[in-house]
Amino acid sequence: MASEAEPHPLGMFKCQLCALTAPYSYVGQKPPDTQAVVLLEESYIMKDPFSSDKARFLILGSRCSVCSRLVCVDPECSLFYSKRVCLPCVQKNISAFPQEIQQDVEKRKGASKKHSNRP
Amino acid sequence: MPPPRTREGRDHRDRDHHRAPRKEEAPEKWDWNCPETRCLLEDVFFRDEDYIRRGSEECQKFWAFFERLQKYQHLKTSQKEKDPGQPKHGIAALADLPCTYDPRYRINLSILGPDTRGRHGPGKGLPPERVSEFRRALLHYLDFQQKQAFGRLAKLQRERAALPIAQYGNRILQTLKEHQVVVVAGDTGCGKSTQVPQYLLAAGFSHVACTQPRRIACISLAKRVGFESLSQYGSQVGYQIRFESTRSAATKIVFLTVGLLLRQIQCEPRLPQYQVLIVDEVHERHLHNDFLLGVLQRLLPQRPDLKVILMSATINISLFSSYFSHAPVVQVPGRLFPITVVYQPQEAEQSASKSEKLDPRPFLRVLEAIDNKYPPEERGDLLVFLSGMAEISTVLDAAQAYATLTQRWVVLPLHSALSVADQDKVFDVAPAGVRKCILSTNIAETSVTIDGIRFVVDSGKVKEMSYDPQAKLQRLQEFWISQASAEQRKGRAGRTGPGVCYRLYAESDYDAFAPYPVPEIRRVALDALVLQMKSMSVGDPRTFPFIEPPPAASVETAILYLQDQGALDSSEALTPIGSLLAQLPVDVVIGKMMILGSMFSLAEPVLTIAAALSVQSPFTRSAQSNLDCATARRPLESDQGDPFTLFNVFNAWVQVKSERSGNSRKWCRRRGVEEHRLYEMANLRRQFKELLEDHGLLRGAQVVAPRDSYSRLQQRRERQTLHQLKRQHEEGGGRRRKVLRLQEDGCSSDEDHEGSASQRADSVDIQDVKFKLRHNLEQLQAAASSAQDLTRDQLALLKLVLGRGLYPQLAVPDAFNSGRKDSDQIFHTQAKQGTVLHPTCVFANSPEVLHTQGPEASGREGSQDGKDQMSCKHQLLAFVSLLETNKPYLVNCVRIPALQSLLLFSRSIDTNGDCSRLVADGWLELQLADSESAVRLLATSLRLRAHWESALDRQLAQQAQRRKLEQEEDPESPAVSPQEVAALSRELLQFMAAKVPYRLRRLTGLEAQNLYVGPQTITTAPSLPGLFGNSILSPHPTKGGYAVSDYLTYNCLTSDTDLYSDCLRSFWTCPHCGLHMPFTPLERIAHENTCPEAPSDGPGSEEAAPVPTQKTSALQRPYHCQP
Repeated sequence: MASEAEPHPLGMFKCQLCALTAPYSYVGQKPPDTQAVVLLEESYIMKDPFSSDKARFLILGSRCSVCSRLVCVDPECSLFYSKRVCLPCVQKNISAFPQEIQQDVEKRKGASKKHSNRP
Repeated sequence: MPPPRTREGRDHRDRDHHRAPRKEEAPEKWDWNCPETRCLLEDVFFRDEDYIRRGSEECQKFWAFFERLQKYQHLKTSQKEKDPGQPKHGIAALADLPCTYDPRYRINLSILGPDTRGRHGPGKGLPPERVSEFRRALLHYLDFQQKQAFGRLAKLQRERAALPIAQYGNRILQTLKEHQVVVVAGDTGCGKSTQVPQYLLAAGFSHVACTQPRRIACISLAKRVGFESLSQYGSQVGYQIRFESTRSAATKIVFLTVGLLLRQIQCEPRLPQYQVLIVDEVHERHLHNDFLLGVLQRLLPQRPDLKVILMSATINISLFSSYFSHAPVVQVPGRLFPITVVYQPQEAEQSASKSEKLDPRPFLRVLEAIDNKYPPEERGDLLVFLSGMAEISTVLDAAQAYATLTQRWVVLPLHSALSVADQDKVFDVAPAGVRKCILSTNIAETSVTIDGIRFVVDSGKVKEMSYDPQAKLQRLQEFWISQASAEQRKGRAGRTGPGVCYRLYAESDYDAFAPYPVPEIRRVALDALVLQMKSMSVGDPRTFPFIEPPPAASVETAILYLQDQGALDSSEALTPIGSLLAQLPVDVVIGKMMILGSMFSLAEPVLTIAAALSVQSPFTRSAQSNLDCATARRPLESDQGDPFTLFNVFNAWVQVKSERSGNSRKWCRRRGVEEHRLYEMANLRRQFKELLEDHGLLRGAQVVAPRDSYSRLQQRRERQTLHQLKRQHEEGGGRRRKVLRLQEDGCSSDEDHEGSASQRADSVDIQDVKFKLRHNLEQLQAAASSAQDLTRDQLALLKLVLGRGLYPQLAVPDAFNSGRKDSDQIFHTQAKQGTVLHPTCVFANSPEVLHTQGPEASGREGSQDGKDQMSCKHQLLAFVSLLETNKPYLVNCVRIPALQSLLLFSRSIDTNGDCSRLVADGWLELQLADSESAVRLLATSLRLRAHWESALDRQLAQQAQRRKLEQEEDPESPAVSPQEVAALSRELLQFMAAKVPYRLRRLTGLEAQNLYVGPQTITTAPSLPGLFGNSILSPHPTKGGYAVSDYLTYNCLTSDTDLYSDCLRSFWTCPHCGLHMPFTPLERIAHENTCPEAPSDGPGSEEAAPVPTQKTSALQRPYHCQP
């Protein structure tokens, strides 16, 4: 384990909505160390910290395609529907999304309200 | 389980290629569950370069996911097929959103599959629609995996942010910027131990050391902090403990034990490798921690760039702050739920029974009260603090009976002598409606944290080791706890929710408790500490600025003891042996053994014995009463003493391991041996070996290269497999929590052991894997099998080495022992009368080997009861420690011949005029039947001691020199030639084998006081040059008589026999030169020693030859004593 070279973090990823912070080691659509998967958006990626497999990566987030804010992939912060949109932008433009998404966002709103009411 | 399935899969694959087309012909019979189908898809998608690999755990998980997905989708499609509403596009950025909803659009990744890779892959026979269905599932799986991992990350950060200390992170960093020392005070649960290192890491510090009092905490904290800082699989966070290190050049934070940091300071006093030092748990006031604080206090002015964070519970914070010139304190509130305290003082009822045994009734009453007051569906376990193991087993019996009755409790003991597996049980969960009742020593106060505790019962008592410097005895005594401990115990009830603490004492008792526990430095032997202080040259231990000084008497005792042991000289400076001992992380006596043993090429057996004596006894308590265990163990017992039994156990275990490794666990269980201790021994043994090699006392092991490339390859493969197994185990997260059975037998009965063993049988024995990775089994086995071939001589020499190592820890059997029952055998040490054998001691069952009345001795003049018997078979016990619990026990004993051992080891030997009466170290009297043989033995012992000492000194001096010059080992010129060692060993053995009848007796106190004639009385000087070699005699200033050497004083003993007896002469003819004269016995020997005609053989020859003829002329003629 000691001899393994670790990917050097390029910098810290910080979600502009929830402030989740984590070091990322790659930005782009082709995660390093694997040829089998490509990404459909420019993502901030780190090596999956919960796996010993070097090829495993974890997508932290990307820029909102509407407002360009850097957001994490947490469903409280953004969603992906062929492109990344942060939740505030989704809410502003909710009618642009299909019904399934709209329902989901509604559901989440209720749930997160309950969630935030908790001490 | 993965491996068998994979193999099965592989077997099928060859056939699959032929069968696949048949499937194509009948697509309607497509079966996702068919192993062949799965194999085919795995061949295409789960290749070695793919994200998921065939046969991996991941692959298993995928198929499980796949099955769930299939069920779910089946449900969905049958439910509804609704027309999606046409979305209206508002802004340009969202104009190209797909209008027909498909869950696929919610996934932000894509897989490169066979169709994108071209149609030539192995999957060309698969129906395309099935392939795309599979791909879709795989995509969902990857997305699910991402969500899962991200969820963990987010949760982790939320939890970290919610810790009480999270608000203080910046303040701590800021304070540290402005001050060299910061005290962070916070109670359990505030998160200081895990978070502060991470704050430092995030702030850019990269050379951080965090000390912990316990090894186990180093490992668990390194794991936790690694996980939280997302470098679980990286090497940013590591730990370093006695046997293990995960530290590398990339490590930024290292968790290490205090002892280890002190050793690092020993090597590099300015500690250049660290920027920040976190000293955790300073409030626990461990010996080493207190010393470290003292060392740091001195170091800080020399290292202004070094930052120190002291972390403490909120106990006595001002003490630490003021010790570091009023360092700022950042105080963090703990996270405790409210705890109700119920005082339930015990009434005087049990005083009526007057027994010493603890009354379990007050504890049962609490169990009852909980049952009556709280419904069983309200979860919450009970933790009971008791003072010791005996108390635990008393309450265990009673509570178990109650539990059987009510079916609402699982009762579990928790103390350090339990096997690791049994200790782990306290982390298992009780079935629904049943509570755990954990009966624990104070180990659960700080060391072990168990979740889910809602109720605490505090007995208010603790058993603590205290040290009696006068009797040199460790005592395990029961005390009232301190208020700080009481609060700590109470706090255990409020970690997961509001709790209740039942105190089985009155509030007034609590008020009378001492505020803090007694620091360790005030209650333990300080030998090792003083030795370490000497080797770190921190100055006089008496004046070292400890945070709270130790008792002066303890320091004095330690210095005297180290002088007795030869580690310090008379000016209290470190001797060569002392400086080596300071490097060895063991008891002084054990270190001495190793140094002595390595000289006689007994290093291998001595290493094993030293390691065995340095760990807790491997024999489980429960097995003591088990006849099967006792029988199975018997062949391993040695009637030479416990160290040899341990030696046999270890060697036999190594043999078992190298022959059939899977069975070593079973082998141990059958013999009532805790295997974990044997692993510890192996680790320690290796460490000792490396230390001896480092110090040139042991030739570095020749690397036995396998003869051919095939076996090298084989070996490499084996190691690879082992590494893989270890990795798999680590990924598996180790032990998972189990649900306890209701009738869990806390005493760990055998069925229980068998049960848990069979459960584990299929899993890998990770200890065995680690063992094989760490040790060269072949080498160990070679050492173990050579141990079986130890000759009688080697064994005798080994005993001599152990004896000299253990001296002055000697006990003499009571004169009346042979008339006593086995269990009533009594022994006396110099400072303590009436000690007994520990029940685990091999002599406890066979005390007759210690009696002098052997078949040969009985014919002699000995009186019937064995008192004052003339015998040449008197023996002493050399012991490793003296421990007082309810009785003073001798622990780990070896029997050694009394006279010879005393002559060779004693720091003081006093004689009468004709040397027929000797007193060793002022407490053991030896009366020899024959003065002539007495003088002869004495003279030989003088010569042997000088020889042995000089050989040892030369060897140690040479090593010290080499280390100084950093020279490579020069095997051409050993300081002590092998021939010399061989000659010395031979002579020592001859000496040990001498058969001289004598009486052995412990002097009474009065006798010991009036032992010496004093300097006023002029006694006869043995003005016989040659009697004791060519030593120069001078009158002894206090004892009277004449000092022959620094330990031997001639004719200083008071005696009620005739003062002139030593001058009685009788005629004698020298067999060599024919001289016929009246001689006193001494004169006769003096003549013999120097007779010019005497043949130069026998023990004296070697010495006699090179001695320059100094003052010897007179001896070649008859000599007359002038009284």
